[in-house]
Amino acid sequence: MIDLSRTRRLALLPLFAAVALAAGCAQEQTRYGDQRSIETVTNQFSSTDLQMIAESMTRSMLQSSAIVSGNLPIVTVQEVKNKTSEYIDTRAVTDSIRSELQKSGKVRFAVDAAAMQQQVEEVERQQGEYYDKEQTAEKGRMVGAQYRMEGNIISIVKQAKDIRDVYYKFNLQLWNVRNGLLEWSDEKEIRKTTTKG
Amino acid sequence: MKRTWMIIALLAAAFAYGCATKKGFEKPGFAFGCPIGDTKVSSMDDLVKFKVLSEGKRTTIVATEMRCTMTGDLLKIDVNLNNDSSKVKRVAYKFRWIDREGMRAWEEEVWKPLLMYENSNIAVSGVAPTNKAVDFRLILLSQE
Repeated sequence: MIDLSRTRRLALLPLFAAVALAAGCAQEQTRYGDQRSIETVTNQFSSTDLQMIAESMTRSMLQSSAIVSGNLPIVTVQEVKNKTSEYIDTRAVTDSIRSELQKSGKVRFAVDAAAMQQQVEEVERQQGEYYDKEQTAEKGRMVGAQYRMEGNIISIVKQAKDIRDVYYKFNLQLWNVRNGLLEWSDEKEIRKTTTKG
Repeated sequence: MKRTWMIIALLAAAFAYGCATKKGFEKPGFAFGCPIGDTKVSSMDDLVKFKVLSEGKRTTIVATEMRCTMTGDLLKIDVNLNNDSSKVKRVAYKFRWIDREGMRAWEEEVWKPLLMYENSNIAVSGVAPTNKAVDFRLILLSQE
């Protein structure tokens, strides 16, 4: 006598196996990647663009006469205006530029407008009765910057049926605070094109 | 007649000496302005072979010329890349900076993508991020 339920169960086995396999394939996999590799997931502003701009601007600025002939010039970072149609954290770009310049040992940075509030609060906090008067930061001892760094980023986006072209231009300038002269300026251009099919 | 031959010989010797002294302008340990240490580099091909590395997928783009100079106290490199093929090629490059002890003088640079038209040359430049970088390698990576 044939055990029908057992036969049916046996027939279902390959189906279960197939479902399990499919579920396995659909599983997400997370791996660490190379943070400096070329990222082309979309043609919007990418980590590669940020890194390339920071590197290019830093290396160019290090060759400027203001930095080469200056004795550790003091720079303050001002705004990089985002004139593109997408959201770009321009502060992240200037932070990277500032880090690279600082690491080069050729530039010093003064507190910028964005961090001024915290700086003033800290100096005022140290005026309190709980601090040793001989070691506290005194008011009126901050050093002003000789140069200010500012810039802008623009984009031109063109889109047709199967093609999207993005052009970015990042411009950075170094202005002499005392006399208002432009000491250095450079640009980095990036073009990315995405085609379908 | 003897005197004529003597003059020709003297001129040839002076010419040869002139050529030989031209080479003497290069500082010891440098070739075409680029640091080479104790490595024997007698031609541009030797220098390019010594300084250019390939990572990942090999590219058919080749460096044909390389010159180095100092800008302030920073090493500056100009490299001529050539696409000899009849197709547009995509390549990425970066410089690796090395200090006096042969260690990395700076963190790895970002790969910089480059599009090269068919039968074209392009010059890429690199400036050391710090004066601690006294040597370098150019790394190429195919993007095909």
